[in-house]
Amino acid sequence: MKRDLISIRDVGRKDLERYLTLAARVEALPLADKAHLLGGRVLGVLFFEPSTRTRLSFETAMVRLGGSVVGFAEATTASVVKGESLRDTARTVERYADILVIRHPREGAARVVAEATRVPIINAGDGTNQHPSQTLLDLYSFKTFFGKLDGLKIALAGDLKYSRTVHSLVQALALFDNVEFTLVSPPALKLPAHLRELGAASRSRFVETETLVEAVRSCDVIYMTRVQKERFPDLLEYEKVKDAYRIDAALLDGAPPLLKIMHPLPRVNEIQPDVDDTPHAGYFDQVGNGVIMRQVILLDLLGVTP
Amino acid sequence: MTEKHLLIPKIEAGIVIDHIPAGLGLKVLGILHSYPEMSNVITTVGLNYSSSKLGKKDMLKLQTQALPPRIMQHLAIACSGISVKRVQDYRVVEKLVITVPETVVGTARCRNPSCITNHERDVTTRFRCVDAPKKRYQCAFCEGIFALDELAVIVPNHD
Repeated sequence: MKRDLISIRDVGRKDLERYLTLAARVEALPLADKAHLLGGRVLGVLFFEPSTRTRLSFETAMVRLGGSVVGFAEATTASVVKGESLRDTARTVERYADILVIRHPREGAARVVAEATRVPIINAGDGTNQHPSQTLLDLYSFKTFFGKLDGLKIALAGDLKYSRTVHSLVQALALFDNVEFTLVSPPALKLPAHLRELGAASRSRFVETETLVEAVRSCDVIYMTRVQKERFPDLLEYEKVKDAYRIDAALLDGAPPLLKIMHPLPRVNEIQPDVDDTPHAGYFDQVGNGVIMRQVILLDLLGVTP
Repeated sequence: MTEKHLLIPKIEAGIVIDHIPAGLGLKVLGILHSYPEMSNVITTVGLNYSSSKLGKKDMLKLQTQALPPRIMQHLAIACSGISVKRVQDYRVVEKLVITVPETVVGTARCRNPSCITNHERDVTTRFRCVDAPKKRYQCAFCEGIFALDELAVIVPNHD
């Protein structure tokens, strides 16, 4: 039976740990030793929505494993503009490729494709729902920074209501023990209640604060997200809160030396450029881990052991 | 003849929908009438009868042989807890309590306007019960969680 990666909800703690172990192994392999692992295989890229990092890192991951890539980077170049259904597009591209990665603006699109096709499907973002490869690379980044996930103290800041990255991350971390979440968001963009209920079994704790100052002192990692203007029904509200979710080097003065700032990127102004040169900047290492984790996902779903 | 018989005349054969919470009887009738095959069925409507279980209840008696599965599922979504009895020769020969369904497949639309099932042609919707006491259901596609009575039931075409 084929395997897909559609949602973090389908992945258990054991699977997450297996992915993390595989990532460490893939990272340690010399480039030449992995350059032929997926020789002759083709990745089909179906991006109905623009993306820089996710698409390029999947493509880089495939090419560096010896495979090749076909596909499209925006819906305007696909047959969908002629009225073709999503399933027909996917059933066509699966005849050209061994595995497909899809990004789509509608929630559930990847699941529809997974159920209509015979090759493995990777969800690279479906609307505001899930982005599981981002979550896996985030977990791997935590693991490389701190050596552990149990007991992690993580502040989630910004738009916690609509960010699919945050939702998937909370679902995954709630599978580990004693994770402490500090939630920093405007009242209109709070984390949905059903996600806060998830951590009960693993003794996760959720704390709310209004400002980042406190989180900077008490957490291992601050995970920033973009507060998007278009999420606010009242622009005055946006103007009031936009600066409350911004980190600069001055704010990090006196922070614990191991504190890391992370961000799924792209950032706009929530992390000021002067943070880049501090030892706290973790976001570009996070990007690098994206290629490693996506190599792991491709190898795993295609049944190749690194 | 007991008072009960005077209030609710017995039917020789058919379906009795009982234990409808008072006030919902006409809603259930509306649901039945949204299905073309039910619109000509002779129906007796009883409202506000006393009930030891509910305090007050509504009841419908239908002179038809059976309720098709899709109507049963529609009733389960809209009004779980009611009972459906089949009557023959004035006696109840079968009784079914409509409970909260474990899954709702193909009979309801997702409430999330951005869910792919509301845009892609011919996708069969699926919802799974994630919290039975609160009657909360999760869409298998967009993963949104909704109350059972929020789900929009797909009613047949009248054309």
